[in-house]
Amino acid sequence: MPQFDIATFSEQIFWLFVIFGILYFLMSKIALPKVGEVLERRHKTIEDNLGKARALKDETDAAIAKYEAALAEARDAAQADIREATEKAAAEQAAKTEALVKKLSKKTADAEKAIAGAKDDAMKGVAEAASEIAREATDKLIGVKVQAKTADKAVSAIVGE
Amino acid sequence: MAGPLEQFEIKPLAELSVAGIDVSFTNSALWMVIAAVLVTGFMTLSMRRGALVPGRWQGAAEVMYEFVANMLKDNVGTAGRKYFPFVFTLFMFVLFGNLLGMIPHSFTFTSHIAVTFAMALVIFIGVTIIGFVRHGTHYFRMFFPAGAPIATAFILIPIEIISYFSRPFSLAIRLFANMTVGHIMLKVIGGFVGLIGIFGVLPFALLTGITVLEFGIAALQAYVYTILTCIYLHDAIHMH
Repeated sequence: MPQFDIATFSEQIFWLFVIFGILYFLMSKIALPKVGEVLERRHKTIEDNLGKARALKDETDAAIAKYEAALAEARDAAQADIREATEKAAAEQAAKTEALVKKLSKKTADAEKAIAGAKDDAMKGVAEAASEIAREATDKLIGVKVQAKTADKAVSAIVGE
Repeated sequence: MAGPLEQFEIKPLAELSVAGIDVSFTNSALWMVIAAVLVTGFMTLSMRRGALVPGRWQGAAEVMYEFVANMLKDNVGTAGRKYFPFVFTLFMFVLFGNLLGMIPHSFTFTSHIAVTFAMALVIFIGVTIIGFVRHGTHYFRMFFPAGAPIATAFILIPIEIISYFSRPFSLAIRLFANMTVGHIMLKVIGGFVGLIGIFGVLPFALLTGITVLEFGIAALQAYVYTILTCIYLHDAIHMH
């Protein structure tokens, strides 16, 4: 078996040490630090990005809270405005109604007064006509000329003025 | 037809000797160089852009890095961090050596006991030194765990010593044997394919399955070699 040929041992071991030594040097000084550096940088980048994402999320949360507070404030203000406007409108409405009622009752009073005036005039006319008719009637029936004043008095007594 | 053992022959490509010791550049050394070049190329070219979002090659290189880093972290803990380059180099070197051996007409340098044992011995001696540097003479407690009844010392200490010193052998022989046997099996069964005519489809089908299996073993044995190194490191750093 060639593996047990002791004559080849020295050359195998010599070259093993030389080549393994060179490979060890290349790995430890050049190749592995580079890989380690790349892995380290990737790890750091991922961590950094996670941190950034966390900060942005916090910022977003703060903005949302602010927005919600503003929204609530605006809603309160709007409600206050609506309440005020409603009250004002109701007061105005009440005032208008009152004015209208006053105007109407005044018109009614005027109309009543006019009706009363007209009734008085009409009654006066009736009394005058009655006293005239009474004077004419007495003159024709019994030939007594009654004084106008007396006739008026008599009519008034009957009408109950 | 080449014999099943011919694939393991060491053939010098350039004769060299230093201080009377033969250090010829052989096919074994050539495939070590190929493995080292491929590992270096893979780990540097793929990471050249160092992109934040890795592409396919960069992703593969990072997977290898994190695979070994996690293996070391799980088995040794953070104290093993400074041995990471060595463990990583070991894993990639053995893995590529095993996988390159699957290429027809290539050479599997990990199928040679001289190579696997030399690496195992370096690991063994290194780990022992780390143990003594960290714990001083207390490291001898490795051979007699705290809490064991003193009466068992007679049996326990020899067992622990044997188990400790058998580590490089188990490490070296496991890898060497797995690689050697797998390649012999492929060669022998492959030899039947041409010999028995139309019935050659049967060994051919078997060969196909075994080839897949061998790829799995190539990766698995690199993993086992590395994880055992991690476990020995753990013992040296944290004791039992």
